[in-house]
Amino acid sequence: MFNTVQIICASPKDRAILEGIFRNLGADAVFSNDLNDALSVFEKARPAAVFVADGEEPPAEIEIRELRRVAPFLPVLVLLKRRDASRAVGLMKAGALDCAQSPWTEEELRPLYRKALNISGTTIELDSSALRRRRVSSALLLAAFCAFTGFAGGLYYGFNKYSPRAQQPRSFALPYAHPTGIVVKADTVLVSDWYSQAIYEHNMKTFGIRRVTSLPETTPVAMTASQDALWLAGAGGVIEKRLLDARYTPAARTKAFTPAPDSACFDGLYFWTANSRTGEIVKRMPGDELAPLKTFRYPGGKLEALTCDTRFLWAADPSMKSLVKLSLDDPERIISRTELKAYAARGLKVTAMAAKDGKVWFAAEDGGGAQVFYAEEPKQ
Amino acid sequence: MNLPKADHFIPALARTSLDMPPLWGRLVSISPDRAEFLSHFELPAGRMLALSFEAGRGNFEDVRARIKTALRDADGYYNYELVFVDRAQRDLLKAALIEAFPPIKL
Repeated sequence: MFNTVQIICASPKDRAILEGIFRNLGADAVFSNDLNDALSVFEKARPAAVFVADGEEPPAEIEIRELRRVAPFLPVLVLLKRRDASRAVGLMKAGALDCAQSPWTEEELRPLYRKALNISGTTIELDSSALRRRRVSSALLLAAFCAFTGFAGGLYYGFNKYSPRAQQPRSFALPYAHPTGIVVKADTVLVSDWYSQAIYEHNMKTFGIRRVTSLPETTPVAMTASQDALWLAGAGGVIEKRLLDARYTPAARTKAFTPAPDSACFDGLYFWTANSRTGEIVKRMPGDELAPLKTFRYPGGKLEALTCDTRFLWAADPSMKSLVKLSLDDPERIISRTELKAYAARGLKVTAMAAKDGKVWFAAEDGGGAQVFYAEEPKQ
Repeated sequence: MNLPKADHFIPALARTSLDMPPLWGRLVSISPDRAEFLSHFELPAGRMLALSFEAGRGNFEDVRARIKTALRDADGYYNYELVFVDRAQRDLLKAALIEAFPPIKL
């Protein structure tokens, strides 16, 4: 607490008494001999209250007036040298806060000193209720936001951790019934259909049709893709090389091969064709002519469709109801065969295959309709 | 009650008896029937006082009042609730207060 008080008292004896009293009260007392002395140190001392000893020169009324002229809100108290209520009231009317009666004692001066310190200056109290209300509202809003965020985060975490994973569908029904070729790209799947003479571009995840390209002059029976071209085998045994533009513009065509191939694939180095009726697999040069290098006999039961990747040849064999893995170096050797569960469906006829990124894709007719499905590449 | 603006309130002199010296304080609230008196002098509840003070243009002498309650505040001052007992003095006080603070007419 700011406890500096100024005491105007000329008598050394009274000053000694007052010094002891204010020391005991905990006050920091600054003594002045008279009013002029008090005013000269007033700015420096900046007292919380002024105590004026009565009965000295100038009179207490004048001292009160001059002090209040300098500091209107400063409490001024008069130390009466004898108990005179009329004079006390007169001094209070003149501006004194209160008057202390004689004899001056610690008990007598304590309430006056404490009251003077408590009322000194102008009391200003900010009406901060609106601010407090806003603070409370902000705190509640923040707490609600944190609670909601925590709840939503927990819900999201729990949902992700404990909810069963949605199974990606492994088969898709096609809106056309005669698929003959399939090419798997980054996020789309191309399927050729001989009946509608068109290439359908499907979204890989939903298998919705993105685009249909009509091929009015070609009846596609097989399809594959290399790095920069699309290869379409026609019903007459001719294989067309087409650009990978929007309309699959023809770039080259071969002579008609006999027997007409109904499967084709490119392993990155050589071009492969197969005929399901004869079980003949032909290894070809990747030029525009697709000149044959060597012909192999399919070593399994019945060759229904053939595809390849950079490591193996893959064949669908309905007699073994299996996916057969063949060597690129020696296609007449079966590396492994894995049961293909799709063959459990009666009437399923695989018409095209493609291999990409560890998956083997199949396009098949299943009685009245058609479907595309895929299986994970067998490990062995 | 004991408000910070005590030095603005009405100074008053109070006599308790003829053989005791008078004391002083301030009237921090006043009405024709009662008043609140703040002083550092201690008095018991029930004691009769004779108050002298100025209110408006009126100068009141020896207004008789009885101490109804006495409470000491944290600074050591006493708050006395006074009841004016003399009907004639109450009427005079009421007239002075009405003159000093006329009622507001809307």
